[in-house]
Formats: sequence, structure tokens, C-alpha cells
Amino acid sequence: MGQCTVGTFTLSGVEAVSVDAEVDVGAGLPTFAIVGLGDLAVQEARERVRSALRASGFDVPNARVVVNLAPGPVRKHGTGFDLPIAVGILAATGQLPSRLASGCLAVGELSLDGSVRPIAGMLAYALAARAAGVPLVGPGSAHVATSLDGLDYRPLERLSQLRGGLPDATCAAPTAHLVAASPLDFADVAGHELAKRALLIAAAGGHNVLMVGPPGSGKTMLARRLPTILPPLSPTERLETALVHSVAGLDEAAAFGGVRPFRAPHHSASIAGLVGGGSPPRPGEASLAHNGVLFLDEMPEFGPAALQALRQPLEDGEITLVRAEGRLRFPARFALVGAANPCPCGFFGDGSKPCTCSQTLVARYQNRIGGPLMDRIDIVVDVNRVDPALLLDSAGGAGSASMRAQVAHVRERADERLLGPTAQLAGSALLQACGLDRSCRHALETVARTQHLSGRGVTRLLRVARTVADLEDAANVTAEHIAEVVGFRAKGER
Amino acid sequence: MSPAPWPGDAPAFEIAIDDPRYPRLLAQIEDAPKMLYGFGDPSVLAPGLAVVGARRATPYGLAAARLFAGWAAAAGYPIISGAAIGCDQAAHGAALEAGGRTVAVLGTGADVAYPSGSGALLTQIASSGCVVSELDWGHPAAKWTFRARNRIIAGLAGALLVLEAGCPSGTFITADRALDAGRDVLVVPGSIFAPECRGPNRLLRQGAVPVTEVSELADALMLSLGPPPNALDASETLYGLKTDDDVLSSLRTNPGRPDDIARALGLDIISAARRIGALEGLGLVRKYPDGRYGPC
Repeated sequence: MGQCTVGTFTLSGVEAVSVDAEVDVGAGLPTFAIVGLGDLAVQEARERVRSALRASGFDVPNARVVVNLAPGPVRKHGTGFDLPIAVGILAATGQLPSRLASGCLAVGELSLDGSVRPIAGMLAYALAARAAGVPLVGPGSAHVATSLDGLDYRPLERLSQLRGGLPDATCAAPTAHLVAASPLDFADVAGHELAKRALLIAAAGGHNVLMVGPPGSGKTMLARRLPTILPPLSPTERLETALVHSVAGLDEAAAFGGVRPFRAPHHSASIAGLVGGGSPPRPGEASLAHNGVLFLDEMPEFGPAALQALRQPLEDGEITLVRAEGRLRFPARFALVGAANPCPCGFFGDGSKPCTCSQTLVARYQNRIGGPLMDRIDIVVDVNRVDPALLLDSAGGAGSASMRAQVAHVRERADERLLGPTAQLAGSALLQACGLDRSCRHALETVARTQHLSGRGVTRLLRVARTVADLEDAANVTAEHIAEVVGFRAKGER
Repeated sequence: MSPAPWPGDAPAFEIAIDDPRYPRLLAQIEDAPKMLYGFGDPSVLAPGLAVVGARRATPYGLAAARLFAGWAAAAGYPIISGAAIGCDQAAHGAALEAGGRTVAVLGTGADVAYPSGSGALLTQIASSGCVVSELDWGHPAAKWTFRARNRIIAGLAGALLVLEAGCPSGTFITADRALDAGRDVLVVPGSIFAPECRGPNRLLRQGAVPVTEVSELADALMLSLGPPPNALDASETLYGLKTDDDVLSSLRTNPGRPDDIARALGLDIISAARRIGALEGLGLVRKYPDGRYGPC
């Protein structure tokens, strides 16, 4: 009979917030209560813990057991409290030495047979434990997160293993996260030279892009190949991206291996599904695409509210959810790739099939994405059906490998400028980066006048032109680069 | 700071009415000046666009002067004005900035920097265009000299663009003289409440041609002065690309997409896209809702 406190965590956004599982086993009617604003999954821990203790050969105390998850006002959710509660009960009843329980942090779900099951958010817990400098006891199944450098991780297959004290630290050397090369390649795409160029520019400069074309013209095929030309994630980006995936309960191995995420939510996605939310709040598709590509196929078919919710992450690179219990931040810095049909029937402007939509219907459809969101899309490119003859005899053009090299080179150049990412340049930094000479300035003014460009329109034009110039290794943006970008603007864009 | 010296070392000229260099259009008006005194290059005294407006111009008038004079100068038409404060100087300045040539007709002797402080501008004008007067060297300013000067501006010009003018005013007189001489009078419309715009709006009522956009000025000048002398050069300086080219003529006859153009003309897709983009930027073609490019 006694008390014991075991350190553990609960998730808040993508962060692990430390929580103390205080266990009190005392005289009284045999009960088992968990207090501290736990959700239903936390309440159900009682049954799992009881069965797991019994199955592992420990005594289940026939006494009054109270578990307090402190701090009290913070809502807790999930099944990760099973293990710390079980450890706390064992220590409080003298079945385990109490210094074992107080010298470590524990997270994990218990199975009725006493085995420890993996849970979502392991990477967040691992990061927090590393920061605290305390050993972390958790599920034993091989887990990428646990091979974090500098983390003292103690894998636990079964609860009964605790009889021999804390399990040994993993001696697994940091795994070389080899990821199979993508089977997709831009070399397989016949024709579509302009669209490939647009995607190359978008990948190189981190610009958002919208592809417009009839069904079956190859928009999705092109978008799926975009990740193949993106450079691998940097070490910091790997951790950021893997963290979001881990918290969402997805496999983070690919992100750890440096593969940029490619998320393609269906157009029926809700706001919460797209930008995060729910109870407990989970990251949405936009966050899962952090440091990667968010591909919205059939963009005008998305709910207007869901689409407009993307404006904040496109602007700030993160999503702030405001809930009664507080503000949560999810990182969401992604390149947006949209695909849209030109009209509801999809064949407006396509030579092969007549369009059945009225003029007003076409105009309304093309406006459905909405001005403020279109304002954040730098490149619009038409994707047309390729002539069947061309499909059969063309060699496919540039392949992913050479395009990837170009992208890496442009990104290096942008880094050398020390002015920040090209897609976010503005004001004097943008002008400094572009180094416009007199004739080019004149050309830009003419474009702005004839095309009725707003200040924002000019800024976007110059950003993309800077990337185009970088693709050619040009020090300054010239009128030719501007001319190319003029063609990548949305119809009727101001 | 002392004002810039005028005329400095600008080359002077004197042209009599029977001189072959005497401007052809000016000779046709009733009271053509017997002599022209000036500095700079007298060959600039070809039919051009006169830009006239009030000295006390509003920002609206100045902006319109800069826009239209700048465009016309870039297109190669000489810009003629009176070097006065306000619209006149804005027009000269815009013409020089656009790399065009401009003529200042003074109401004093050509070697007198009037208004004072305009020496620097006159020197710049004379270096590529010319500064001219019918008055003998050193003639001082007087009320009548400016009124007489206005008839020379009207006489030299093939078309007259009126910006802001009270009614009556010197500008309005110039417009009257241009009408007498059978010149086209173009007018930038203004607010009905602004006294500065009473002149232009009255001219509009009398049948002058309103100019509200560069393209309208281009059309009007095409009729009264002929095609722009260096349309091709002007666009080359804009983009380093020819606009008068196969891409444009191809799109004019048969609207198409960049890949159509690339295939038809044997270009690679990037240069086709750039040339179409340049044409679009110049307002010569536009993108249709279905994605093809064609004439505006």
C-alpha cells in the first residue's frame, strides 16, 4: 500500500506535454478510479491495466486505487497512459522498486495479455524525453522514432519483463533509413513540355501551381511525379515532417528517410480533415504535407470553406487551431499543387469533344477557387490532351533525375542570396534579388499596365521570374524571364 | 546652387521660311514665323504630337502627360510642348525618360532659360531634340510672346493632345489654333467639377477625340501621323524580342496554344512561351478562356 508517481506525456498539437501519473493504493472499498480530465480511452485503461497485470503474473491490488493525471486542468486523451499507470500500481504495491518507476518516463498501450502496443506520437514523446534527459520506456516493436540520436530508449515487449528491472537500452545503431526510389519518372510523360516546365519552376522556387485541363489530360500523372524532382528533406525537415506523421499515427519511416510527403486528399475533405481539428485535435492533410506537396485534385470541387481555410497555412506556414482548451499549432509549410477542369463537363477548350456548359457556367466554375486563394497561386498552366501520335513516338523529354539536379541547383542559388526562400520574397528584398535594369523595369511596367496588375500581382510575377532566371543561372531577371512568366498567370488575373 | 547654364555649348541654328529644313507643316499655317532660331537638331521638327496643359496642373494632369507623352515618345513620335512648368515639363520629361525626342517651343529668345531654372531640362532636350523660338536671340518674355508661341506649337504638331486647361487659357488658345490649322485635337477628359478640366470637356463637346487609354492614342496617332516610326524598335527595347514577328502573325490568323505555336514554327516550348508572353505583356495578344492565345 503506498503511492508512486510515474512521468508520462499527453499530446498537444505536435508537442508532448509532460504529465504525472500519480497512483495511490490505499485502504477502502476495492475501486479503480482515474481522475484528471481523461477521455474515454483513458477511462478504459482500467480494464486493460487490470487484465495485463494479471496476465503478466503480478498481483492486482484488492484495494482502493486512485490514479491522478496531473496537471488536472489539461485534457488527456489516448491509450498511452496504460503503461505508466501499470508501472505506478506495481511500484505503489511494492511489486517493483519505486526508484525504477521514478527514474524513467513511460508511454504505451497495454494489451490484455500483458504485451505493450505501439501508440501514435512516439516521436513527440521521444523528443520530449530526450530534452528531459530521462530514459523512456515504451513499446518494443521496432520503431524509427526510438533510434533518435541521444535518446535513452528502453523497449518493453511485455509488462512481465519489468521484473528484471528496466529493460536494456536499444543498441540498434541509427538505422540507415533506406527508402526505395520512386518508380515514377517525368521521362515517362510524353508531351506536356509546358506543364513540366511549370512544375520544374514550382519545385525549384517553392511556388504554388494550378494545372487546368480536361479530364484524362494528365494533370494527376504530372502531379504525382512532382515529388520525384524535389530534393530530399534536410535533417531538420525530416524531424519536423516525421513528427507530424507520428502524431497522426502514420508511419514516419518515409519522412525519416528524407522522402518529401505527397498528400492528395479527396475533394470531399472537411475543414478539419484538411487543416486539422477534431477531438482530440489531429493534424490535417495540410500538416501531413509539411515540407512536401499538397495536391488538390479537382480543386473547384472542394468545399469553399475548406479551401479558404488553406489561406492561413499558405501565408504563415502553420495552422493555429483555437479551441476552448487553448491554441494549438500544427506546422503546415507545403507547396500547393492544384488541378482543375476548365468547366463542369471538363471539355471546355478541348478540341476532341464539344463542351456542353454555358458561358456563365464556365465562368462561375473557373471562379470557384476564389480570389484570395488564387492570389496565393503563383503559376497557372494549361494541361491539354496530348496528340495520340505524339504519345506513341515521343521520347518523353527531360527525366526526373536531370530536373531534380536543376531544382537542387536553383535552391542552392536561392540560399546563397541569403534573402530567404524565393517564393516568400517581397518588397526591397525582392527588388534586390531581381536586380532589374532599366529596360527590364520598363518591360515590367508595360506588363503591369497592359495586364492591369496589382502590386501583389507584380510581386508574384517577379518571384517566379527570379526562379526562372535562377534556372538559367542568370544573375539578374531580364525581360525574357518576365515574358515567360506572363504566360503562367491565371486568366483575368489582376 | 546656381541654375544650370543655358544654352551652354548646344549647337545653334537659324532657319528661314525658305530653308529646306523649315518644318513643312508649320509653313502651312496662316502666319507662319519668318525665322526659327534654336538649339539642337532641327530634323526633329517633323510632324509630332503636341502635348499641352495648364501650368498649375493637378496630379491627374501630370500623370496623364507622363503616360501619353512617354508612350508616344517611345513609339518614335516627336513630342512638342512649351517647356512651361506643369504639364509641359512633365511631357518633356516623360519623353526623355522613354528615350524619345522632344521639341520645346519657347516664348522668349531660344537662348533665354525661361521659366528660370529650366536650363537643365532645356539642355537635356537640346541634346537629343531641339529648343526653338521665332524670336530673335535674347528676346525677353512678354505676355504676347507666349500667345504667339502657341500658334507655333499648333503648327508644328500633326496632332494636339490637350490635358488640363481652364477656359479661357493659353492652352485653349493653342487648341483653337490647331483647329484653325486643321490639326487633330485629342483630349483627355476630366472631372465636370474641376475648373482645370473645363477646357478639355468643352473641346470634347465640340467634337474633339477623347483619349482614355494608350491604345486610343495609338489609333488616333496612326490616323493623323501615320504608323509609329519605331514601333518595332520600341518593342525591342521593351523585351529584347521582336513583336512584329511570325508568332504574332500566326496567332492573329489562327489562335493557338504555346505548344501549337512551338510545333508550327519549329520553336522549343520555352522560347515559344516567352515570345507569346512578351506579346501578351505588350497587350498585342491575350489568353482566351479556353487557353488559346489570339488577338485582343
